[in-house]
Amino acid sequence: MRLPLLVSAGVLLVALLPCPPCRALLSRGPVPGARPASQHPQRLDFFQPSPQPQQPQARPVLLRMGEEYFLRLGSLNKSPAAPLAAASSPPAGSSGSRLSPDEVAANFFRALLQQLPLPRRPLDSPARPVERGAENALGGRQEAPERERRAEEPPISLDLTFHLLREVLEMARAEQLAQQAHSNRKLMEIIGK
Amino acid sequence: MAPTFKLQCHFILICLMALRGESRYLELREAVDHDPFLLFSANLKRELPGEQLYRRAMRCLDMLSLQGQFTFTADRPQLHCAAFFIAEPEEFITIHYELVSIDCESGDFLKVFDGWILKGEKFPSSQDHPLPMTERYIDFCESGLSRRSIRSSQNVAMIFFRVHEPGNGFTLTIKTDPNLFPCNVISQTPNGRFTLVVAHKHRNCSFSIIYPVVIKISDLTLGHLNGLQLK
Repeated sequence: MRLPLLVSAGVLLVALLPCPPCRALLSRGPVPGARPASQHPQRLDFFQPSPQPQQPQARPVLLRMGEEYFLRLGSLNKSPAAPLAAASSPPAGSSGSRLSPDEVAANFFRALLQQLPLPRRPLDSPARPVERGAENALGGRQEAPERERRAEEPPISLDLTFHLLREVLEMARAEQLAQQAHSNRKLMEIIGK
Repeated sequence: MAPTFKLQCHFILICLMALRGESRYLELREAVDHDPFLLFSANLKRELPGEQLYRRAMRCLDMLSLQGQFTFTADRPQLHCAAFFIAEPEEFITIHYELVSIDCESGDFLKVFDGWILKGEKFPSSQDHPLPMTERYIDFCESGLSRRSIRSSQNVAMIFFRVHEPGNGFTLTIKTDPNLFPCNVISQTPNGRFTLVVAHKHRNCSFSIIYPVVIKISDLTLGHLNGLQLK
């Protein structure tokens, strides 16, 4: 009797506990890489204007190297108002008459890139063996310890949610279809001659 | 079947295999130009006259699903860039370096990854991919132009790059080649029908869809000895 009661209570606790939103996307604040951003991530909607455009704090998308997250340090050259204004453009699917698909895609990627981090310290340590390895490669040979160290480095990957991946994939397919239509039109022109 | 005829059939099959599945045709000219060795000088199928290679600029974060030539030029230091490539399920992707102008000594890099890697998760996984993890990354700063053309093992690939100096960059040509027996596939669309034939023994294959979908398996054959079939 007690066991089902305990199990039910545990299930209720798990269900009612606040779940963190999708991690590995954003983190607010210029915290210099001290803690992983997955603890308090926030969602950024690239197709809607930011509710607080006055705040210059940008919300970085994290570039993940192995198990480490790197947060953005400093500020980009462009002001955040520009990418936010660009991000407020209509979605790619409904660009309609105002913006061409290329412009919408460029705006989307520009807004996404503005959130990319510019880590300094965390990337310096893996960068140094990369630079040393590059020098050896340019010298024509790479020593075995360098090769082993490179092999042990965590794989470079990108922190991109599946939602954003689908968005960029849809843009790529739209581009492919547009190019196919262009080729078909040219073919019909040739045949017509 | 007579052994001589069988040998002739095998010889013809070997000749056809040598063409690697690419479409070729024999251009029969007039009788005066008849060449008895025309089969051995077959040309690749000609493209339509005036058909130009698709070209556009590559973004720091990009997804490419068509063939063409793509150029990335840094207008400012771009430290975290990646481009995803995806082709049809029955195609390989070939990445060809046309021009690379990066400064490896100052920390620039250009790496091709055989597959996709997202949040540390690789596709295909290490259990499914024929190559070890270390061989799936091809670093331009290590190999240089000795490996100028890199072909993927499935219909997806990606590159990671970093360029510090504005004005530096690279140009890639992306082409696709037919894959007769695709093993690890990422579907571009949430709809469709696909048949996966595992041509090799003892090989793990996968078919991935990055959309919420309903999957219906209509035909399944797993081994003939155990009679595991679903029709």
